[in-house]
Amino acid sequence: MAKLMIPTPLRQFTGGQDAVEVEASTVGEALDKLTSRHTELRRHLFSDEGKLRSFVNVYMNDEDIRYLDRDKTAVAEGDTISIVPSIAGGTHVG
Amino acid sequence: MVGHARDTYPNECCGAMMGKTEGGTKVVRVGVPMQNAHEGSQAAMYVLKNEDLLAADAEARKRGLDLIGIYHSHPDCDAYFSETDLKNSCPWYSFVVISIKQGDFDHANSWLPDPDQTKADKEELDYGEADG
Repeated sequence: MAKLMIPTPLRQFTGGQDAVEVEASTVGEALDKLTSRHTELRRHLFSDEGKLRSFVNVYMNDEDIRYLDRDKTAVAEGDTISIVPSIAGGTHVG
Repeated sequence: MVGHARDTYPNECCGAMMGKTEGGTKVVRVGVPMQNAHEGSQAAMYVLKNEDLLAADAEARKRGLDLIGIYHSHPDCDAYFSETDLKNSCPWYSFVVISIKQGDFDHANSWLPDPDQTKADKEELDYGEADG
């Protein structure tokens, strides 16, 4: 079982659960199972083309999966998967 | 949060807001200052490190609070939601912008971006005297 940590604003789509456990062998499979079980969540994480939205980062324990094996990153019993948005801004123009 | 914005003036500050949603109203209990990770001038730009946000989410859970938003300052500018803010936002959180003019607090607004990063709605924001 892997545990997916749900950010506060998305818990309205998981029935209020702050974490969801799924059986999965990869991070991609875990996200698929999560969004199959909680379908409203899918459009918040994935674009219409099925790709993770540009501002969505996924961490396996404390590692960004982009530096591991992306959606094919292997998941072991007890691993924690977190969804973290990219955030920046300012008055800079251009 | 205002103190953080003052301390970093004339640069932009950034941080996370922990709190609770009570009767449909988001109530900020703790403002957590974070490092502005933008490389280069920080007078008009901020970047949050993903790892800091991950740690803030874990800390909020530990405290029995929720991560409900992000704040940053606009030195010598109004607290509008800029194009840069919008294009680098995330629709899940409220974004409080603090206007600091000549080093002093001027006003603040809260914004809620849409999922496609095309617009942000202004939220009602009650910050009292905001002198902390």
